[in-house]
Amino acid sequence: MTLSKPKRIASWIGQLIAVAIMGQTLFFKFTGHAESVQLFTELEMEPTGRYLIGALELVACLLLLIPSSVVYGALLGAGLMSGAIIGHITRLGWAGDRLSLGLSAIAALTACSAVLFLRRKEIPLVKSVLKDRPH
Amino acid sequence: MSTKLAVNLHKLARFINVVIPLLLVLSFLLGWLVSFYFHFLTIAFLFLSLLNAYYLFGQRNHTLLRNFGILGQGRYMLESLGPELRQYLYANDTEERPFNRAERAEVYRKATNVDSAASFGSQNDFDQTEIKVRHSMFPTATSDLEPFRLVFGEDRQLENAYALKVPFIVSAMSYGALGQRAIRSFARGMGAVGGLMNTGEGGYPKYHLMESCDLVFQMGTAKFGVRNEDGSLNEKALAEIAALPQVKMIEIKLSQGAKPGKGGILPKEKITDEIAMLRGVSKDRDIVSPPCHVECKDYASTVAFIERVRSISELPTGIKLCIGHLDQFAQLAREMSRQGVFPDWITIDGAEGGTGAAPKAFIDRVGLPLLPALKGAHDLLVSAGIRDQLKLLASGKLINPGAQIVALCLGADAICTARGFMFAAGCIQAMQCGSNTCPVGITTHNPELQRGIVIEDKAKRVANYVRNLEHDLAELLCAVGVRSTREIGFQHLYVPSQSILNSYANAPLTP
Repeated sequence: MTLSKPKRIASWIGQLIAVAIMGQTLFFKFTGHAESVQLFTELEMEPTGRYLIGALELVACLLLLIPSSVVYGALLGAGLMSGAIIGHITRLGWAGDRLSLGLSAIAALTACSAVLFLRRKEIPLVKSVLKDRPH
Repeated sequence: MSTKLAVNLHKLARFINVVIPLLLVLSFLLGWLVSFYFHFLTIAFLFLSLLNAYYLFGQRNHTLLRNFGILGQGRYMLESLGPELRQYLYANDTEERPFNRAERAEVYRKATNVDSAASFGSQNDFDQTEIKVRHSMFPTATSDLEPFRLVFGEDRQLENAYALKVPFIVSAMSYGALGQRAIRSFARGMGAVGGLMNTGEGGYPKYHLMESCDLVFQMGTAKFGVRNEDGSLNEKALAEIAALPQVKMIEIKLSQGAKPGKGGILPKEKITDEIAMLRGVSKDRDIVSPPCHVECKDYASTVAFIERVRSISELPTGIKLCIGHLDQFAQLAREMSRQGVFPDWITIDGAEGGTGAAPKAFIDRVGLPLLPALKGAHDLLVSAGIRDQLKLLASGKLINPGAQIVALCLGADAICTARGFMFAAGCIQAMQCGSNTCPVGITTHNPELQRGIVIEDKAKRVANYVRNLEHDLAELLCAVGVRSTREIGFQHLYVPSQSILNSYANAPLTP
């Protein structure tokens, strides 16, 4: 499935935004930065969850950058960012630094969703339905 | 007996459609109140709920998904696995079409030089339809067999007469239908055994010419490579191609078995810049050739066109057609006699044929099958007294020695096969020839899929296949008790009562 050039450029912008947002937190997660440890402690996931989520975000970033697996990366990224937003709603709150963290999660989710929308004809379980549409 | 499943799938589907959102709520609560890890489930059920809502309320294409939701997808997933599952696991060795596993395996063994002896009896039905070869009580000694030799153009003392020494010809497949590596594999393999290969109607045979094999240049109804703007013959271009030392003969394609009555098709997925250039066409849409040559409006003009091509090319010139009406074939033969112009050969293509793209109705329903067409054509030419004026070639699923000897008994002088050579080069009958996705790189131009073909290796397989076919043919001729293919005929066949050829067994056709 090949996208038209404008859609392909739009998709890559979305992919790069999602990768930039998820990627910049990886360093803090893997090095055990105090704020990151604090977040995952509040989520009662420290330290296993911090490494697990970090690893999944790394995988999502890589998938988003490999042309043949962009939709899988976007799906994984959207799932992780949805989880982060649930975390903000239920436990972490939005006060102070948490607001910018929460907003960046929303931005990444939006980017992933946009990529998924642009590449909806590549999404497993959806593509077959879209392709069979009578012209 | 009821055919309903024990489970009411509609009820089950409605249950699942309610349960998925409930599980979403439950896992959210668990994630909130017990452990954040439960939110992995929340996300999974969130996505599943969104997908299910899309199936039930969003999309309008699939009724089953609209009624059943996610459970309906199970049916599509299982169905999509069906062809592979059947081929790998469930279809028995003799039931697949167009070629069953037993037939394919025989070619694979010949191509890899593995003994193709079978044990414990035939897997075929010895029923009322299967034609058998009658052997003699006194087989011929191998040393008494005459080497195969068929000279095209000898009847008219042509200076460029061509002597065919291998009775198995690579049938017409163009560059376009095949990828370049497949073409070079076939050409190199046939070059090694001194065989002949048909270029197909793909225009200038650039890749065929890279190897050393003898070629028949095929001119289709669109005359790729030798056409004027209006679709008529460009004599200069034809003369130039005919002058190439490797091009030994010219074949005028009137029609083909896969889509008789319709021109060749090359889907746009398979048209590269180079193919568009070699054929002189646009790459933006399917290449559909006209159903007939502009020069061939009736019997007289068709025969005149054959003579014209013959005189321009100064090479043996034949025609290829799939027969629809035997009486039309008889008319054509009469016109040849009237004008005193006979093509050097006629290739009878059975309606079974075809590697490439064709409308399904044409593949399945149009044209005479090879056996009655070949037998009918042979009988007509014999009774018109002109059988000696030309050679008959046969094509249409003749990939194995058993099928080939039957065709030779019915009047063929040599055998053409395309798919036999494709199997020899590794075809797995994925049946994707028209979509540029051939998984073994034969009928695709995708370099990543062609990568798997190592020309040198595949050429060896092609050569092995030919040598083993020659070996089996020799053994069959010995068993029949003859010394050459010229001596075999219909009398060497046993034709059971329900066979497609039974009417000929009792009452040979007269024109």
